[in-house]
Amino acid sequence: MARTGVIICHCGSNIASVVDVERVALAAGQMPGVTYAATNKYTCSISGQDMIKQAIAEHELDRLVIASCTPRMHETTFRKMLTKTSINPYMLEIANIREQCSWVHTDKEKATEKAIDLVHMAVAKVLKDQPLFTSSIPVHKKCLVVGGGIAGIQAALDVAEAGYEVTLVEREPSIGGKMVMLDKTFPTLDCSACISTPKMAEAGAHPNIRLMTSCEISAVTGYIGNFQVTIRQKPRYVNHDTCTGCGLCEEKCPTKVTNLFDQSLSKRKAIYKLFPQAVPAKPVIDSEHCTMLKSGKCGLCSKLCPLGCINFEDQEDFITETFGAIVLATGYDLIDWAKAYPEYGGGKYANVISGLQFERLVNASGPTEGHIQRPGDGAEPKTVVIVKCVGSRDPAKAKAYCSRACCMYAAKHAHQILEKIEGSKVYVFYIDVRTPGKGYEEFYDKTRADGAVYIRGRVSKIYEEGGKLICKGEDTLIGKQVAVEADMVVLETAMEPAHGSTETAATAGVSADKDGWLTEAHPKLRPVETQTAGVYLCGTAQGPKDIPDTVAQASAAAAKVLGLLAKDELETSPMISVVDAPKCSGCGFCEQVCPVKAISMVDVPSMYNGKRVTRTVAQVNSGLCSGCGACSAACRTGCIDLLGFTNKQILEEVDALWQE
Amino acid sequence: MSDVQNTLRDRVRSLLAEGKISCFIGWGPTRFKDRTIPKFANKPEDAGELVYNEHCLSNLAKYALDFQFSAEVAGIAVRGCESRAINRLIADGRLTRSKLYLVGIPCEGMLENGSTAEKCAFCRHRNPVVYDELIGEPVAEQENPPRFEQVLELESASSEDRYDFWQREFAKCIRCYACRNACPACNCMECYTEQYRTGWQGKQANTLENSVFGFTRAYHIGDRCIECGECERVCPMGIPLMKLNRKLVKDVESLFGSEESGLSDDASHALGCYDKEDLEEFM
Ligand SMILES: Cc1cc2nc3c(=O)[nH]c(=O)nc-3n(C[C@H](O)[C@H](O)[C@H](O)COP(=O)(O)OP(=O)(O)OC[C@H]3O[C@@H](n4cnc5c(N)ncnc54)[C@H](O)[C@@H]3O)c2cc1C
Ligand code: SF4
Repeated sequence: MARTGVIICHCGSNIASVVDVERVALAAGQMPGVTYAATNKYTCSISGQDMIKQAIAEHELDRLVIASCTPRMHETTFRKMLTKTSINPYMLEIANIREQCSWVHTDKEKATEKAIDLVHMAVAKVLKDQPLFTSSIPVHKKCLVVGGGIAGIQAALDVAEAGYEVTLVEREPSIGGKMVMLDKTFPTLDCSACISTPKMAEAGAHPNIRLMTSCEISAVTGYIGNFQVTIRQKPRYVNHDTCTGCGLCEEKCPTKVTNLFDQSLSKRKAIYKLFPQAVPAKPVIDSEHCTMLKSGKCGLCSKLCPLGCINFEDQEDFITETFGAIVLATGYDLIDWAKAYPEYGGGKYANVISGLQFERLVNASGPTEGHIQRPGDGAEPKTVVIVKCVGSRDPAKAKAYCSRACCMYAAKHAHQILEKIEGSKVYVFYIDVRTPGKGYEEFYDKTRADGAVYIRGRVSKIYEEGGKLICKGEDTLIGKQVAVEADMVVLETAMEPAHGSTETAATAGVSADKDGWLTEAHPKLRPVETQTAGVYLCGTAQGPKDIPDTVAQASAAAAKVLGLLAKDELETSPMISVVDAPKCSGCGFCEQVCPVKAISMVDVPSMYNGKRVTRTVAQVNSGLCSGCGACSAACRTGCIDLLGFTNKQILEEVDALWQE
Repeated sequence: MSDVQNTLRDRVRSLLAEGKISCFIGWGPTRFKDRTIPKFANKPEDAGELVYNEHCLSNLAKYALDFQFSAEVAGIAVRGCESRAINRLIADGRLTRSKLYLVGIPCEGMLENGSTAEKCAFCRHRNPVVYDELIGEPVAEQENPPRFEQVLELESASSEDRYDFWQREFAKCIRCYACRNACPACNCMECYTEQYRTGWQGKQANTLENSVFGFTRAYHIGDRCIECGECERVCPMGIPLMKLNRKLVKDVESLFGSEESGLSDDASHALGCYDKEDLEEFM
């Protein structure tokens, strides 16, 4: 015979002011299997828990129903409490009579009746509860960081500093991301390279960090604490073990290629370092352009290299390693504005440039050594128009969201022009100015005081006339059409997720939102975790943001990783799906509906019609299963059951509901 | 048709003789001129007993399950409906394409009691959608047969009337499970109706339990029904099961924009996948 205990919680007045808890307790006392029923003012408090423990001992209870707040609130609390009693922590049911009753009803009589029903259901279910036991999985104390922008670098450094091994995977030949392309950073205007290259160097030299550049992740299997990740090393054609980075090859290579790091404003060689301070400071060959690789002619670098590092036969390589945690920091790209905005010339005017191109123009290590010159003719522009929100907040043409950093870097760009070009004029077309950050509003104010003219409105058209770029738009504050004649136009374009980042994230079981930004587990309370336990995210991969926010998130993700790696073992929830294999037809429906890919189809020896056969059946990976129950609902044969929510248990609840 | 029958016999004879297949599933004669039954040809000399005429009403696909664990290749005659049923069974993990040899036969509809069979009236795929060889020339498809006509009619009734209608229909059910046995989408190793005390499905033949069975079966095949109409044809009590199935087919098509089931052996189903972008209008 079951000996069920039922505790009805007042939750102060949260429940008791609407539900007649005494009456519920009285009714519970009459329910099948119930040995003991009582109320408690605050069941979750220490004294409340003591009272339960006492009742368990005194009345020899073997299972428990607590009617209180949502199980999301205190189920863990009560399970922990039960570990100190004779009852298995999973012989517990919680009837939610707060969120699902007292908080949403005002009619006391009806609310009390409903509370009785909810308790009745829980009492019926607890009768079918089975003791469940957690198991543990070891944690592989190693972290993988994907993406070597400032987000990935910061996360890697934080984890490495705490004493754990980190592998930092970057698909470009160097880490650094977008930050190293920038000139100065708002609002303090410190030189971007001066603050980011030391971090890159630190990451490159850290004994706990293994840099893997020109690499991508191609497959992830396993689960929290134990991810098996396959990393694809793209061919570099240069042996980085022997190369000293002397630079001779790069100097002598005859093939010139558009330099994308300089945003197409300069040329580089076919054998190249991404930029002078690249980490690792060693070149790679661009196979798309190297004439030797394309047509077997040249090979100059190979002849010149004093250490014989060049290997035109280099192949891609796949490396599989185990990691306990994964951080996704794949960053952003800028939209292809030329496609979305034909009215701005669609790319045909050389002097209409993007913000990132401007960063390279104004950068001392950029193509013009920091002199702001028009790409068209090298002349110094006297009048510059800056257009904000190009592609941001413009759902009809590009993105509905705000790219967050542009308001501030537009002000930065205006400031830089006014500072560097004497007598220059800057007009900034804007929809709003958003400056929520420490020192941001002050920076914007100063830019205007410096002389930047802010015009509220979108630019509707840009065209060339008499050597000038005419920017037409409406000044919505005065309600008039305006036209500004500019020498150069800077478009502050929208950020979008780095190309291929959603696919990379999907490999690691992380989904993206409709715009492709990676989805966090909870926008407020779990901002750097994902729905896949053990996989974290940070930086602009999650959504547009500036460097301070990126770095803060990176350190937050590192803290989460450290919390995980500090453990030797992880307890796994026993509330997972189990397959009754003999019943399984192997249709694979469960495999398809499982959001965390916990189900795989396996071949098992079996008997069929008196013969030994091999059949395909579903198998649940207990490390991955999150216990959502989707598979159990999808299974037509009913051969998958979710422990703790078995079909029988749910049916008992339903039955209890219609029994008067 | 006698041409098709002759070619079929010849082909099966040589396929068996060459050892390409170990058995062929087709139709065979009965005592009645206007009736055929499924026929298994195991030896070349059996081929001469195969029949193909306008009375080949049975959908043969499910008999292929008899060979699911066989090491050899089984041959089977497939018209539009059989071919889609075979795709269904492959998609559901019950058959392996490489262990089947499909002899395609374009079909212009079968006769039932002297006129076009009900199940052929709404057919949209008279030509097999998959085969290894084809006997005869492809035939013209029926243009937009009004497959949802009966559903629309039913949808126009009030929910009470519809409820009463189905209660009346399922009151007739004798729980013989002929519908399930004939259905290519009902292919579980162990049907839930066979299970002891599931708790939600009683085995008694009464209106309530019968309709729980009928509706559950309809849901189980909702996004996988190939509209072959076998269930309705084999029901000894004349329950219009295709009205129910087509209602679900229509809903799945309009809600998820999915194509008809069984056109390929691809295992993606409207109701059997997890997608973050799924509509959640009800949440
Ligand atoms: C014009 C402009 C000016 C700006 N100015 C400022 C400023 O003054 N101050 C400020 O705070 N912010 C500024 N920002 C914003 C700043 O650039 C970002 O906040 C910051 O660089 C984001 O860093 P991240 O590491 O998240 O992304 P990223 O810098 O984009 O780094 C992502 C890295 O991941 C790599 N990667 C991507 N996908 C994969 C993959 N699948 N596998 C492996 N590696 C991958 C990329 O190659 C890249 O190296 C500016 C932005 C722009 C466009
Ligand atoms: S319960 Fe959810 S997570 Fe677990 S196997 Fe089923 S669908 Fe996957």
